[in-house]
Amino acid sequence: MAYKEKKTITTIVTGIAVLAAYCYYSFGSTIALTDTDAILQHQAITMLKFIGIGIVAMIVIQILFHILYSISLAIASQIKTGNCNDKEIEKMIALEVVEDERDKIIELKSLRVGFVFAGIGFVSALVWLVMDGSAIYLLNIIFISFSLGSILEGFTRLYYYSR
Amino acid sequence: MKNKCTITNKIREHRFFASEMTQQQLAEKTGVSRQTIIAIEAGKYSPSLELAFKIAYAFDVKIDQVFSFQMESDQND
Repeated sequence: MAYKEKKTITTIVTGIAVLAAYCYYSFGSTIALTDTDAILQHQAITMLKFIGIGIVAMIVIQILFHILYSISLAIASQIKTGNCNDKEIEKMIALEVVEDERDKIIELKSLRVGFVFAGIGFVSALVWLVMDGSAIYLLNIIFISFSLGSILEGFTRLYYYSR
Repeated sequence: MKNKCTITNKIREHRFFASEMTQQQLAEKTGVSRQTIIAIEAGKYSPSLELAFKIAYAFDVKIDQVFSFQMESDQND
């Protein structure tokens, strides 16, 4: 499995973990508020918090992944050749990280899939509201559909890389 | 009637004649990842014209010596 596939798997796992944490926090907690505006405000704050958490988690996990990947390459080089050269490891990583035209095409294709899914989620949320659904669920449907769209984007990317 | 185009390549053959050049070496020469070279060689990905020229340049041959194009007409449509 190549560097990019491993990186995509890491992104997917992070996305799933953040979404699961959001669902647990959002649906698991009971709110003592009665005013609709206050409930919506509370929900909006929760969503903003989790957007921040998601961004920070993604950055931290990508950095950790990069460090662990470098260590794994160093160990593999040590076992194979008997010595571990820093410049050699840097060169190997630079060759793996290079983004070419195929990566850009795969990115565009997977982004399209993600956006379509998020768009369907957004329209579904509006339909939900038209059918006298709760505004809190509208927010949840939008947030979850965007998160699932991002996860689906990762799976699409994996599919195109493995094809 | 639809026309289906097939692009085939002789990258493996040219790598062999270039002192068994590795896919990694070709990737370095053309500025792409090894995975892209693998995909092109296996016919799973058609490179851009620029990359096709770079690959041919890496082997020091003309582009039509590496890539060939065939147009097949589908009579069913």
